[in-house]
Amino acid sequence: MVRAILCTGACVAASVLLAGAMKADGLSERARKLHFSCIVVDTHDDTTQRLLDGKFDLGTRTSAGSIDIPRMREGNVGAIFFSIWMPSKVTGPDAVNRAIVQIDAVREQVRKHPNDLVLATTAAEIREAHKQGKIAALLGVEGGHMINSDLGVLRAYAALGVRYMTLTHSGNDEWADSSTDKAVHNGLTDFGREVVREMNRLGVMVDISHVSDKTFYDALETSKAPLIASHSSCRAICDAPRNMTDQMMKDLAAKGGVVQINYHVGFLSQAFRDAEKANPELNRAISAEVTKRCADNEGCQLIEGDRITREYVEQGKLPRVEFSKIIEHIDHAVKVAGIDHVGLGSDFDGANMPYGMEDAAKLPKITEALLQKGYAEGDVKKILGENTLRVMTDVQLISRELNGGKQKQESRLQ
Amino acid sequence: MRRMVAFLCLISCSCAGLFLARCTAADDIAERAHQLHFSSIVLDTHADTPQRLLTGTFDLGKRDAEGHVDIPRMREGGLNAQFFSIFITGKTLGPPAIQQALDQIDLVRQNVQQHGKDLALATTAEEIRRAHAQGQIAILMGIEGGHMIGNDIRMIRVYSALGVRYMTLAHFYNDEWADSSTDKPAHNGLTHFGTEVVREMNRQGMLVDISHVSDKTFYDALEVSRVPLIASHSSIRAISNHPRNMSDDMIKVLAAKGGVIQINYERNYLSEEYRTAFAAVAGDVSRMEEKFKKECGDDNVCIGKAEIRLEKELTEAGKLPHVSWEKIIEHIDHVVRLVGPDHVGLGSDFDGADMPDGLEDCSKLPKITEALLRKGYSEEDIRKILGGNILRVMEQSEKISKEMQAAQ
Repeated sequence: MVRAILCTGACVAASVLLAGAMKADGLSERARKLHFSCIVVDTHDDTTQRLLDGKFDLGTRTSAGSIDIPRMREGNVGAIFFSIWMPSKVTGPDAVNRAIVQIDAVREQVRKHPNDLVLATTAAEIREAHKQGKIAALLGVEGGHMINSDLGVLRAYAALGVRYMTLTHSGNDEWADSSTDKAVHNGLTDFGREVVREMNRLGVMVDISHVSDKTFYDALETSKAPLIASHSSCRAICDAPRNMTDQMMKDLAAKGGVVQINYHVGFLSQAFRDAEKANPELNRAISAEVTKRCADNEGCQLIEGDRITREYVEQGKLPRVEFSKIIEHIDHAVKVAGIDHVGLGSDFDGANMPYGMEDAAKLPKITEALLQKGYAEGDVKKILGENTLRVMTDVQLISRELNGGKQKQESRLQ
Repeated sequence: MRRMVAFLCLISCSCAGLFLARCTAADDIAERAHQLHFSSIVLDTHADTPQRLLTGTFDLGKRDAEGHVDIPRMREGGLNAQFFSIFITGKTLGPPAIQQALDQIDLVRQNVQQHGKDLALATTAEEIRRAHAQGQIAILMGIEGGHMIGNDIRMIRVYSALGVRYMTLAHFYNDEWADSSTDKPAHNGLTHFGTEVVREMNRQGMLVDISHVSDKTFYDALEVSRVPLIASHSSIRAISNHPRNMSDDMIKVLAAKGGVIQINYERNYLSEEYRTAFAAVAGDVSRMEEKFKKECGDDNVCIGKAEIRLEKELTEAGKLPHVSWEKIIEHIDHVVRLVGPDHVGLGSDFDGADMPDGLEDCSKLPKITEALLRKGYSEEDIRKILGGNILRVMEQSEKISKEMQAAQ
């Protein structure tokens, strides 16, 4: 309580000082006020990989990577989905084991930082966390291979707090085709449809980032709840199979879903993608350097991959991509899918960030840019988080209906 | 209520006449026992019913001719809190053990959800009391064998988060960090990692179960654990000299630290006469898994049935003695005489062991209450044995867990 009063005092003092002015960071008072009054939801962060070596602590500001509590505070992140991830080639019980360990790692970080973080599984819990001045931590499983074709494992994840699952990662899994693999299932298999239905029942959002176009349409047809693309951008701007076509975005929106824009330069910029494609040795060189620095430490690989890519850009070997590209994708998606169907899915700590969006502290710039583009404050608020919160609420309501109106027993986690 | 009135009337009517005085006294005990039993929280800490759920054909909601536990029979026996055992063979290790354990936990959770009117998943003493007050049966979970953590301490937290409230440190075979009572010692009790597991269990509010472990593992766990230990399903070695049972000294030190031994109803553990006869004709009861390996593989329901069949054949052939359910009372009474009424409870091993004559399933549980009352036990002490003692240990565990987590 004392803290709240102090904070209010400090905030008032700050706004008096800043009235009408722009700070050195180029943020207008209007944007600052708006941004810091919104619940900002980011649906995809690979920070979990950094937690696995036991050395990285979310509470300490670091210069590497994009996410820690101080920088989330600075950027006013209200809710963050920590991604549970491992390469598609890890399968069977090993994949289950590794996923469980990652879920535990996130939960442990939440337990270690009770003043800053709280585990959330619903939109209501995110709002409650926001009220208490805490950042809501959520869990998403990035790749259906981690359930080892076992609905019991899916339910275990749900019980531990997982609230979305990406149906595949870069490789096909046993029951769904990926957008970056050779199609073998023609989309979703029968079991894959069963997985989607069970996710609906459990209130786990169906995430169609990474999946093939056919898998997307199969999931759209099967799912009783709206879908999300937790971290995908627009194919009309950058022709990557990981991005969504205009038609896919329209169809997603028609069923109430949301596309969460991914900030990866290779998905934002056609020029960057073309340069990468034109010069495959560059990628090989980056991979070799990453392996040299990180061996098989995946958390390190993701961070160093971003750093080395930056070095190549500095050397003029790859084009420089500005953060304004994110705004271009948001704006395109809004035009195609509608204002109610776009959100943020950074891919922080798992991708190569554009200039100006190096970490979570830079997020207010998105608000500033959207306002400058003429977006209404209410619309900015939707993009920053309200659209995602709406889908979460819808998914939960549908789950409740599918369970015969009964409150799910695992709704409240310890 | 109406049934109760009818019942009372029946007693008084049948008691009218010549034998009035004697009959009143006897039936007074029966009635008191009934009242006492059905107003108490009867908490059993070990049933292998999840193995039956795994078959996919067994429905908890229907009265079954086989097995020992289902909702109708639990209602009939006044059994209102039951730990379901999560069990896979100790020969399965690593990630496959973890996945199978997760599947069984899910299976229990799914079944509880399916029978939401009758059952409620409980993880604390308070939740058990709440379920009881609402007329629901509380279902809890215990993991039977440390091998299911896949040698990874983090799994304790995961299982705890999923609702598991005790873990038996080993099963019939040693695991990677604790010796079993029915295997050749390999670790001299608990390894250093094993002591860390125990401490993490304390921190997570997961009771440390020393059934199945070697004597040395027991003493090691006793030294390390900040929370009183439980033996979720063990009986008395002084009565039946099986390594799965506890010696008087073990019971004394367990009790001195506030722990509870929950009596197992398996015939081999109840009766020395039976145990020696069984060992002579069928081998040790801890090796049935190997004995029926060819026939059953890892199917524990199959192993259980094969065992029951074998025992029936041998008993009918006169090669095995009958064991009466009254042996259970003898075991309970032995503990009470040794360390008082605060350190003994019920850990049937329903659906995982061969029940004695007269306690064929959980519907027969009121007989235990009546027998104890007839033996002169106070109502208060009987309530403790039926469930109060284990609720006390759960509350202590919850308190210490909170303290340890706050101190982090």
